[in-house]
Amino acid sequence: MANPSYARDTAEDLLLDVQNLRKSFGGVHALSGVSFSLKPGEVHALVGENGAGKSTLIKVLSGVHRHDSGSMTLGGAPFVPTDPHFAKAAGIQVVHQEFNLLNDLSVAENISIEAFPRSRFGLLDRGEMKRRARVALDSIGLQDIDVSARVGTLGIAHRQLIEIARALQSDSRILILDEPTATLTERETSRLFEIVASIKAKGVTVVFVSHHLDEVFAICDRVTVFRNGETIATELVSQTSPEQVVRHMVGRSLLEQVKEVSQHIRDTTVLSVAGLRTAASPHAQGVSFDLRQGEILGIAGLVGAGRTEVLRAIFGADPYQSGSVTLDGKPLRIAGPKDAIAAGIGFVTEDRKDEGLILDMAIAANVSLVGLRDIARHGVLNFIRERRLAAGGGARLQLKYGKVSDPASRLSGGNQQKVVLAKWLQSNPRILLLDEPTRGVDVGAKAEIYAILKDLAAQGMSMIVVSSELPELITLSDRILVMSEHKIQGALLTDDFDQETILKLAYGQSQSPSQTQTQRQTEEGPKQ
Amino acid sequence: MSATEGAAKAPERGKLSLRAIINNAGIGLALLVLILFFSVTTEHFLSPNNITNILTQITINLILAVGMTFVILIGGIDLSVGSVMAFAAVVAGKAITLPGLGAPDLILLAIAAGLFAGLVCGIINGAISAYWSLPSFIITLGMLNIARGAALQVSNAQTIYSFPTAFEDFGSMLIYGVPVVFMLALLLVAIAWFVLNRPVFGRLIYGIGNNEEAVRLAGHSVYWYKVAAFTICGLTAGIAAIVYMARLSIASPIAGIGFELNAIAAVIIGGTSLSGGRGSVIGTLLGAFIIGVLANGLILIGLSDFMRQMITGVVIIVAVILDHYRAKYAVS
Repeated sequence: MANPSYARDTAEDLLLDVQNLRKSFGGVHALSGVSFSLKPGEVHALVGENGAGKSTLIKVLSGVHRHDSGSMTLGGAPFVPTDPHFAKAAGIQVVHQEFNLLNDLSVAENISIEAFPRSRFGLLDRGEMKRRARVALDSIGLQDIDVSARVGTLGIAHRQLIEIARALQSDSRILILDEPTATLTERETSRLFEIVASIKAKGVTVVFVSHHLDEVFAICDRVTVFRNGETIATELVSQTSPEQVVRHMVGRSLLEQVKEVSQHIRDTTVLSVAGLRTAASPHAQGVSFDLRQGEILGIAGLVGAGRTEVLRAIFGADPYQSGSVTLDGKPLRIAGPKDAIAAGIGFVTEDRKDEGLILDMAIAANVSLVGLRDIARHGVLNFIRERRLAAGGGARLQLKYGKVSDPASRLSGGNQQKVVLAKWLQSNPRILLLDEPTRGVDVGAKAEIYAILKDLAAQGMSMIVVSSELPELITLSDRILVMSEHKIQGALLTDDFDQETILKLAYGQSQSPSQTQTQRQTEEGPKQ
Repeated sequence: MSATEGAAKAPERGKLSLRAIINNAGIGLALLVLILFFSVTTEHFLSPNNITNILTQITINLILAVGMTFVILIGGIDLSVGSVMAFAAVVAGKAITLPGLGAPDLILLAIAAGLFAGLVCGIINGAISAYWSLPSFIITLGMLNIARGAALQVSNAQTIYSFPTAFEDFGSMLIYGVPVVFMLALLLVAIAWFVLNRPVFGRLIYGIGNNEEAVRLAGHSVYWYKVAAFTICGLTAGIAAIVYMARLSIASPIAGIGFELNAIAAVIIGGTSLSGGRGSVIGTLLGAFIIGVLANGLILIGLSDFMRQMITGVVIIVAVILDHYRAKYAVS
């Protein structure tokens, strides 16, 4: 809210003005008071952790979601985008994180998909379609792409640029790029930056969502920081520093958390993964690592680096191609989650809504789902035991709820995540796999979950944590593996944790490997 | 009845809100309004004879709908129950008319054969659609044809009749004016209610309909529960076949055409969500009653059969629209 640069602007100067925007899904407040503005022709960065509200804001601006309250003006007039068409017609174009391209159609067809050119008889005018595609591609410097090529045959970077070309061919006042560089190499990124600069020169306002502050400081004019569904600050890039922005992003409470020494790790290796290769992995050697008792092993990497696949393979959620998993020195044969649970492995999945919770069902029913047989006699459920168990699990994790018979959908994101945790703790696992354990969880609950996990590790539970939030991995982990393109690119011990090193490893293919990093790579052998 | 704590139920919202009433008592209320309406507008609606009539008429649909509730709760559908019922009836009819056995043996044999035929069809439906994760709509559409063809083949397209008297008596027996076969259907409702609410089994049926992946990742064998739901549905089709034979004293290979749609309608009107995970067998009971009362009452007030069919159609659509809003409230 404290926003000096904003206060100076008069409403007429602003292209877009958003005031106190709120939006919640079920019990989860995705946006709880977002204020933000765009000046004509600026490049404006939105930064913040996953689940901080950036994507929701974009979806509200582009008419995908309707906001609950708050006001928006576009060019001085009230702006209420009712659907994506409306937003597009108003000149707001979005290039989403997930591609919206049809892989089996040609580049030209994809570019024209929103408004196909028609000939006199209402038939598709192919010549005109290709001409328009050529113009659209040339305008952002993509002379090398053939408009008749099937989109599926192009690389990810090109697909991204085609999306931008498509967005820009209609009249754009605002172009929103949602994490455009997440899957690009350094060279492709710099090409994208040139394109952004040329778009800006044409007077288009660009909103740039990114996790990478160096990019923000390279091409943006202003930056707005999101945390926990709120806008924390908007600053001129020329007048702030990366440190300052990170402070806004992370908030005080997490920075002050002390990183204690991990004395609880014992020398016994509980889980050993060797040459594990999942269906999506292109590398024959697969992934190998050891997990010791009481250790929290973090896995960093970009989306699509194969982290989730490794967890799912260990848990038996998906079959793997080759390699082996050893538990306590004995080979672990797993045909499905049932076997993994029997072996003492739990899996807190990435997606609460799709894989973790049964939202319509009672909190108690969710907590008991894994250990359902334990609260039943001859197959008949004992509801009193179930409620007691849920209440006990809830108390242990400081769950905030009304009644255990309330549906899980009524809880906030953080408390929903605690229900998922409670469910798995019920089966007393020795190894807990966690995939993005605090996605969409507010900062307070995050700290609580961290404390719970650390406490469990101190009691001897071993964990593998996959997370896209580096501060989270750095806070939690005793050791961090960095994955890139389905292989382990490096391993870091507590003292060497550093965002920059991790990111460089994560972008494994970039051509600027520092010396230390190659060293680490060799150090990361089958064993520590 | 449906307020079981901690059980897998549609969420109870604020206790006495209008919404809660719509959610939980809406169907019962609608049925009450219908009954009141027909009692006032027609002379004979509440006469003992007519009540017996209604109960007899809804029995078979109710039995089929109980099984259908299981399948729809896991997010599936079974289009084959009408044909399977005919097939089971023909198989049982062949058994009951075998020469050289006493009446009690024949009756037991026929019941066993009919139930077994239904069971096998259900297992096939479930095993195929669950193993390959195929839409049950298509698989059971195939079974609809297979079972109908089998019924015609087994019976040589002839209606089978002349059953033992004891068997036919069972079909028309009344206790205090209530058909025994209806009591049987009520017993099935009670069993289904218990199975869906108290054991692990029922909890997981609801769970699978809500979020199959979460149930699978919690270490439960989704496959077997799905097969079980279809098997139960096939079994109830077998039971319906026996009741049908006892009531009409025939086993016809062309019986039950379109019965699957009435059964689905009863489940949906009863508030069970077509996408699975939400609903109850008590709702199905009320849904079957609404269809039966509507059919009976509309004839009594002198509407044509065609009008009756149109109105039943309207009720189904209204029920689904109401369900849409229920689902919306449940989420927000």
